[in-house]
Amino acid sequence: MKDADINAKQQYADGFITDVVSDSFPPGLDEQVVRNLSELKKEPEWLLDFRLKSFKRWQGMSEPQWGELDYEPIDYQALSYHSAPKFFEEGDIPQEILDTFEKLGVPLHERDALLGLDTSKPKQDNLIPTVAIDAVFDSVSVATTFKAELEKHGIVFCSISEAVQSHPDLVKKYLGSVIPYTDNYFATLNSAVFSDGTFVYIPPGVKCPMELNTYFRINARNTGQFERTLIIADEGSYVSYLEGCTAPAYDENTLHAACVELITMDDAEIKYSTVQNWYPGDENGVGGVYNFVTKRAKCEGKNSKVSWTQVETGSAITWKYPSCILKGEGSTGEFFSVAVTKGKQQADTGTKMIHIGKNTKSTIISKGISFGDSTNVYRGAVKINPGATNASNYTKCDSLMLQDSRALTIPYVTSQNSTATVEHEASAGKISEEQMYYLATRGFSEDDAMNLVVNGFCKDVFQKLPLEFAAEANKLLSVTLEGAVG
Amino acid sequence: MLKLTNYSVSPVLENLNIEFDVGRTYIIMGSNGIGKSTLLHSIMGRPDLEVSGDVELNGENINEFEVDERAKAGMFIGFQSPTSIPGLSNFQFLKQALNTKGTEIRETLEKFKGLSQSLGLPEGWDKRNLNTDASGGEKKKNELIQMQMLNTSLAMLDEPDSGLDVDGIKALSKQLNEWRTADNTLIVVTHYEKLIESLNPDAIIVLKKDHVVGGGKELAQKIFAEGFDSV
Repeated sequence: MKDADINAKQQYADGFITDVVSDSFPPGLDEQVVRNLSELKKEPEWLLDFRLKSFKRWQGMSEPQWGELDYEPIDYQALSYHSAPKFFEEGDIPQEILDTFEKLGVPLHERDALLGLDTSKPKQDNLIPTVAIDAVFDSVSVATTFKAELEKHGIVFCSISEAVQSHPDLVKKYLGSVIPYTDNYFATLNSAVFSDGTFVYIPPGVKCPMELNTYFRINARNTGQFERTLIIADEGSYVSYLEGCTAPAYDENTLHAACVELITMDDAEIKYSTVQNWYPGDENGVGGVYNFVTKRAKCEGKNSKVSWTQVETGSAITWKYPSCILKGEGSTGEFFSVAVTKGKQQADTGTKMIHIGKNTKSTIISKGISFGDSTNVYRGAVKINPGATNASNYTKCDSLMLQDSRALTIPYVTSQNSTATVEHEASAGKISEEQMYYLATRGFSEDDAMNLVVNGFCKDVFQKLPLEFAAEANKLLSVTLEGAVG
Repeated sequence: MLKLTNYSVSPVLENLNIEFDVGRTYIIMGSNGIGKSTLLHSIMGRPDLEVSGDVELNGENINEFEVDERAKAGMFIGFQSPTSIPGLSNFQFLKQALNTKGTEIRETLEKFKGLSQSLGLPEGWDKRNLNTDASGGEKKKNELIQMQMLNTSLAMLDEPDSGLDVDGIKALSKQLNEWRTADNTLIVVTHYEKLIESLNPDAIIVLKKDHVVGGGKELAQKIFAEGFDSV
């Protein structure tokens, strides 16, 4: 099959545009825009200062060039830095937005969220919902479900703008504590202009009774989305957090530069799962989301644990390295990733595991699948600091290639402690004719055969996803693979 | 049932004419490299083989059928060396191939477990990955399970006995004998005398480069005694 045929079949079901009246800032970025944003959100002085020093810093920085990425320079003055649907005056969410999330399979009404449960079983009145949702539409969080239920456990799950007002001490203490405002070009920009995002606090000893889910939707044209997520798991607590993303199919590129910070105290655990399906652009590489994201966790406490699981199928460009700073003694960091690229997509993604504490452990499993004219890079760093006695890391990177695609594996390993063990395995291969033929003799069509092989290839990562998310990831993968057989 | 007319597979087989009848069992023999496996795979439609002539299945010309279409028409090939698919479990694979849903899943699983147990496969075989970390004999048993579970009416088995231990071969001939009915046609490539005896085939077909020699069981006996050049 020729590339043109494959791309003709490229499907992006979530590419529709919602017609909603928005309040947007005019394009452009200067100190006044940062001040306006802060004022709009009625932010305290310390946060305005944080933004302003970030902006000042950013002005003297330049975009990182080390990624295996090729794109037109981003015009930061052509973007709008805030876009919100008009509804706050009326205190109600426009039906169009509710419909949008409904269409994307993200129910906002609390009752509908119950659909996450097995509906074949008889419904009981006291059913505990499985998923609570924070829905972010362009620059603002439009709705958060099950807040009352979560509050009973002392759990805070709200938009970060709200948390700035309701829990200023926590936000002030932890914002920028994992990703300093000076960290990198995109994180510094985010620190200056972040609009909204999710805030989660799990009190000591609390196991969050449901999955927390943030759903990000970019709708407005020529708007940057700069969300900021902060999750704090206090001593002995546990939370599973899910994140999903989509955007309309615009011809212009959309910039998404998010920051996610996670903190775990003693014996706490955060499981963070992402299914990223931003618009990837059309067959000629026109349009699509530029996804420059900084995600980092700090395992502050002893025996604490952070697991990053990501399924990346969207975006024209992905630049993303969810990382763990393993500071607490005996803490564990995990990174499980499936990245699929096709057409003209470019992904440069991976992780960093920084071992600081004794007996710290990390596991990295990365699966890259590339089709067409795409580029798929795994870039990972494992750093064992001098104090990390008995630290251990296991890394496994597999790539599967088709057609003229490129796959690269770039691991960086530094060990400054002789008691540490670092293991790295890598494989690169193509789907064999033999496998396709074998499956055909059992009656599988080319698409179905491809699906089986790719799903098998991704199995050890999909197993790490929460159940409902795994089904979504499977479905997304099969849509992505449709017609991709060469 | 299956009819090959002026059938050639480049560069090994030339101008063969063979007819297989429904409900019968055939043994295909021939010296090494003569093209026995190639013949079976060409009938299955393997895309890299260059075939000329005609293939008819139940009176319909299937020259243009893709491999998966031939499979759906009831054709099955048991591989001599089955391919492995990492991360895909044996049962998941069969479930997907049969498109089994809902309450049928339990039934299908029971049948699967019954077959794998009687072939002496270990507990939990359903969860093991397809032909990954399996021995040669276990892979062959897997082929036999698939043959029986998929809706096969024409089974072509390429040396199903190779790699099997004594008990395995007993189980193989038992299951093949049970599977044979008036509607099921069996074509087996084998060099193994005992399997031929126990299957009691309707015909022996000896493959030569540009023709075939057909006959009854006595043909096999002659080959075992005097070699391929004697027929």
